[in-house]
Amino acid sequence: MSNYFTRPDEPPAYSPRYPESTSGSTPGRSIHDHPEFQSLRNGYRRFAAVSTALSVGGFLLYVLLSNFAPGIMNQPLAGRLTLGLALGLGQFAVMGVTAWCYVRRMRTQFDPVARGLRAQAEQRRPGTQSTYGTPSAREYRAW
Amino acid sequence: MVSIGAGVADPFSRQLTFVLFLSVVVVTLFAALLIAPQRDEVAEFYLGNREMSPLRNGLAMCGDYLSAATLLGSTGLVALTGYDGLLYLCGTTVAWMMVLLVIAEPLRNSGRFTLGDTLALRLPQGGRAVRVALSLCTLTICCLYLVAQLVGSVALLTQFTGVPSSTTRTLCVVVIGTIVIVYASLGGMPGATFIQIVKAVMLICGVTVAAVMVLNRFDWNVNALLDAATDNSGIGQRFLEPGLRYGASTTSKLDFLSLQLAIVLGLAALPHVMMRLLAPRSTNVLRSSVVWAAGLVGFVCLAAGVLGLGATALVGRDNIVDTDPKGDAAVLLLAQSIGGGVLTALLSCLAFVTLLAVAAGLTLAAASSLAHDLYGEVVRKGRATQAEELGVARLAAVLIGVLGMALALLSWETNVSTLAFLAFAIAASALLPTLLYSLFWRRFNSRGALLSLCGGLVCSVLLVVVSPVVSSTPSSIYPESDFAWFPLQNPGIVSIPAGFLLGWLGTVLTRRQEPSSYEEFEVRALVGADAE
Repeated sequence: MSNYFTRPDEPPAYSPRYPESTSGSTPGRSIHDHPEFQSLRNGYRRFAAVSTALSVGGFLLYVLLSNFAPGIMNQPLAGRLTLGLALGLGQFAVMGVTAWCYVRRMRTQFDPVARGLRAQAEQRRPGTQSTYGTPSAREYRAW
Repeated sequence: MVSIGAGVADPFSRQLTFVLFLSVVVVTLFAALLIAPQRDEVAEFYLGNREMSPLRNGLAMCGDYLSAATLLGSTGLVALTGYDGLLYLCGTTVAWMMVLLVIAEPLRNSGRFTLGDTLALRLPQGGRAVRVALSLCTLTICCLYLVAQLVGSVALLTQFTGVPSSTTRTLCVVVIGTIVIVYASLGGMPGATFIQIVKAVMLICGVTVAAVMVLNRFDWNVNALLDAATDNSGIGQRFLEPGLRYGASTTSKLDFLSLQLAIVLGLAALPHVMMRLLAPRSTNVLRSSVVWAAGLVGFVCLAAGVLGLGATALVGRDNIVDTDPKGDAAVLLLAQSIGGGVLTALLSCLAFVTLLAVAAGLTLAAASSLAHDLYGEVVRKGRATQAEELGVARLAAVLIGVLGMALALLSWETNVSTLAFLAFAIAASALLPTLLYSLFWRRFNSRGALLSLCGGLVCSVLLVVVSPVVSSTPSSIYPESDFAWFPLQNPGIVSIPAGFLLGWLGTVLTRRQEPSSYEEFEVRALVGADAE
């Protein structure tokens, strides 16, 4: 059950604050100092930075080249296809590959660690919610 | 430009369009009312059904993301300017990668109903001021983009009837606006989601059918299509070379770069798109949904490219320019030539439904920001009951819809893309820096957030005011006066760095405060330890 839904016996808990953030050592903070979390975070940041630079930066470079070096982009490759048009199609391929890498990496390297850390957070905060670590039981159909 | 009516649509397809549009509207209105939120729960009104499958979520995201500007405007741009138009379509797709790689998962893990909730969680001190600034930006972006959609509906009507009389114009805007208000205020997010999905399915089917017909005409030989497009463009190989639209001078090249920056960084930060990211309950579903949406967006953009090239190849560039110098008529002319009246009617109905769906999403995003951020958290300081906040949200949807209609009627002659590009520029220079800094920068504080939100907003609006869009050229709003000292039409290349710089400056100029809640926020944003 989500804590987004207020139960009838509670006042509407709107302000998104951490109820325990006044005490010194909270579960969130101790998870934060966990070496596994640090490596998870660094890995995530590195991957996000590299992949964004590759797909978005690559596209901006392509725009720059098209504008300021049209001679290179106009080299014919086959028939009417020029280097510029081929690179444009290549953008779509790069995006597909990036998305695939992202999903595979998140599934194999990120999710298992994140699930473990979530389970730890739940252990350190007893009596709140019991569904943290269990993966969602619900299976989605294709539609 | 005046003699448009006869060229694009014959009476048969005009009537067919009308019947089709009416039936789609009636069906979706009933459906929206049936699945509208039953209880006084804000979560249901803001987020809709949180248990939807990835494909349906992905369709809804794709529906929110692709507006009629993509279907008509970008395709027309391809038909008129070839290579430069294709670059534009490519940018639309790349922008979605920002959502997938950087924004989607941390935002959903740390967010709740609006972007304001994420910021309030991240910056507990000074949260109210940040929320006010954020809602101001959200409202500005939504209103600009909403007015662009409504003005677009008038422009679309122009394709059918010639330049409409003021009564027809008013009627068109009021009817579309009213339907949008009903979707948003009664249907809430469930209703908006439903029409987004209907629209996305229609859009994908429509462009697929048309693209298949074009390719079939050329025996699935892309080179033959390119050949015919170059031959019929009247300018030969230059059609497939960069610089046709933006290559006249260094200024216009910079202008194009500025536009691409605003598109790539701004589309990802549009409020109605971000709101949709918060809906899925589990991270896995969100990830699959965003990947589905990426595939669908990429597919529609590729198909739109084929349609644009096909329009030049089969209709001829000169004919398109004769009908509508901006090129918006290209798709409809192409449909007329390959599929006759039926396909024309289908695609024009599709364009109207697209307008309607995006406008509904925008109205809802603006209403949520008004009701949740401004009323719930700032005016009532979090003490409003759910029923109260819901009432305000519905009222806000009506108010924003009416405001949008009034502004659209006042400015119906404005260029649709000018309004949309300004909205992208504001999103990229105000919302994106704040969002990225708060997700990834430990020291970021509320002073920085305020500066980057307000600074980005003011900077982009001011730069447009002193640009050729407003004065000094024959096509600007005030052609007689000249106060255009900023040479570019798109402010992005200056205002986006300015937004990031101001956020950084505001942060480092503040003395270090007590330990921030960033550690806890970061755990939640990455691991989702609190959100599921």
